[in-house]
Amino acid sequence: MAKTIIDAHNVSKTFNPKTVPVHAVQDVHLHIEEGEFIALVGPSGSGKSTLLNMMGGLDEPTSGTVFIDGIEITKLSENKLIDFRLHNIGFVFQSFNLIPVLTSKENIGFVLQLQHMPRKEREKRVLTLLKEVGLEDKTDSKPGELSGGQQQRVAVARALASKPKIILADEPTANLDSKSAANLLDIMAKLNKEEKITFLFSTHDQRVIKKARRVITLVDGKIDSDVEQVPT
Amino acid sequence: MLFQIAWRNIWRNASRSLVVISSIIIGIWAGIFILSFSWGLYKNNINESVYKQLSHIQIHHPNFGYEKDSKFTIPNSDTVLIHFQSDDRIASLSSRVIATGMITSPTTASGVTIYGIHPPSEIAQIGLNQTIIEGAYFESGKNNDILIGAKLAKKLKIKLKSKVVLTFTNVHAEIVSAAFRVGGIYRSKNISLDEVNVYVPQNHLRELLELKFSESNEIAILVKDETQLDSIKNDIETLVPNAKVEDWKELSPELGMIIESFNLYTYIISGLILLALTFGIINTMLMSVLERIRELGMLMAIGLNKRKIFIMIMLETIYLTVIGCPIGLFLGWLTVNVLGKTGINIAMFSEGLASYGFSSMIYPELDQEKYIIIVTMCLVTAILSAIYPAYKALQLNPSEAIRKI
Repeated sequence: MAKTIIDAHNVSKTFNPKTVPVHAVQDVHLHIEEGEFIALVGPSGSGKSTLLNMMGGLDEPTSGTVFIDGIEITKLSENKLIDFRLHNIGFVFQSFNLIPVLTSKENIGFVLQLQHMPRKEREKRVLTLLKEVGLEDKTDSKPGELSGGQQQRVAVARALASKPKIILADEPTANLDSKSAANLLDIMAKLNKEEKITFLFSTHDQRVIKKARRVITLVDGKIDSDVEQVPT
Repeated sequence: MLFQIAWRNIWRNASRSLVVISSIIIGIWAGIFILSFSWGLYKNNINESVYKQLSHIQIHHPNFGYEKDSKFTIPNSDTVLIHFQSDDRIASLSSRVIATGMITSPTTASGVTIYGIHPPSEIAQIGLNQTIIEGAYFESGKNNDILIGAKLAKKLKIKLKSKVVLTFTNVHAEIVSAAFRVGGIYRSKNISLDEVNVYVPQNHLRELLELKFSESNEIAILVKDETQLDSIKNDIETLVPNAKVEDWKELSPELGMIIESFNLYTYIISGLILLALTFGIINTMLMSVLERIRELGMLMAIGLNKRKIFIMIMLETIYLTVIGCPIGLFLGWLTVNVLGKTGINIAMFSEGLASYGFSSMIYPELDQEKYIIIVTMCLVTAILSAIYPAYKALQLNPSEAIRKI
């Protein structure tokens, strides 16, 4: 049996509980195993981003517990949580993913440096990662000099850098044209297959959804359906 | 890596950073300039007092004091003079016989302090000959020559060659009157003293007061190197044990106060400049933090802890300050050095200043210590004003920060 990566119980999140309560996520149970490739879908406002943020320890649930690789992250202190994220979770956001003043190489190396990886080893790993996302010729370009698709690929490479248990991606293709989106998804799928990295990404895009092996649909903060499919 | 990111961050908005750097430069420069200028002004006043009036050291009989009673003399002042004339630490010295009394012209009278001087000595001592605006400096060689100030001449309505009568008491408390003829009219930088000080030949006054040849009321000494002032003062005290030996700070406590208050001004002026600087830095850094909220959220999400975020923002401010400080310091130092040599002519305002004993050329000057104070205060201010924006960045919650548009 595959190892459990995410185990969430009764997770709820209410914004503005005292004034105008908004129940973004209600009573969600989620069980994700190593090597899964999951799309989280649903209309705007259905709670996809909130759920992802809670799975990644960026947001604290109002109630419920989240275990990542056996560790209850909902109980960690803020600084421990930051450290936990650094070593266990990779993030890819919709935009503003990269540090604008650093080159692709430095952006990826930054995470490794936070993990105190020695310089030589770091440089080697950065080059490998850039090659994996097909950007070996853009090592010294700053984010401003890259296209949106290229920036997202650097972001995926950076998310991978620390060898996380899981990569959480919040609408990674939202700002991309269809060709770049397909390209990014192919890279993610390849990494998932070859390196056994677990991916959980939220999306609206039907073409992206088709590539997933499991599709979880959220409606009004609740899981509406959770189905396995054969990617096309 | 944090150092590198912070350094590159400040050049993301180069014009904004340059504005902060410029304000630091101008702040430090202005602080240095204002302080050096006012110190130049005070120094000018002090020099004017020391070299044109007080001298570095004065020796009196302990009871001579405020009333200036001529009977309190320094005995054997002639031997004291001879002893110190051969001392090569001393630039010049002169003895004076002093009486207070009344000067009477045909129309009116006025209270005066009468200085019996040895004319050649006072040339080196207080440059008295340079202040003559009418007539000559004791050229007639006559005993009844008198030198009076322009203001007093005007008050008494007398001119050159006019006859005046001096009335005072001699050492036996008898009233003495003697006629003098105005041989010269002087105008010094200190108009208030011009009204009360008159100068006559020493021997004549000594005879009128019935003092012995060896006696005088005051010995004034100018030293070559002011750092030796205290040791010279000690030597005098041993040589003339029964006399009161005072340096210029004791003679004129208000000059000492000027120096004291100047230190206070240093802090007040620097404080005001730095206050303006503080708001400039807080405003700029706060703007720079607030417009990077999403980026800071992303940094926290990928694993940069709050301590490191705080350090990064602080570093950005520190870099700006570290660039601005030396430039401001150098410009300030350059200004002080150039103007310190050429001087600033404030002739436009000097008439008013002259009545307070200031001259019209100001030579800005500043101690090393003051430079250090200004720079230290500037550094401290910059670091303190970086704390609030950095603290603001710490309050961000990564998920909220990322959601913000």
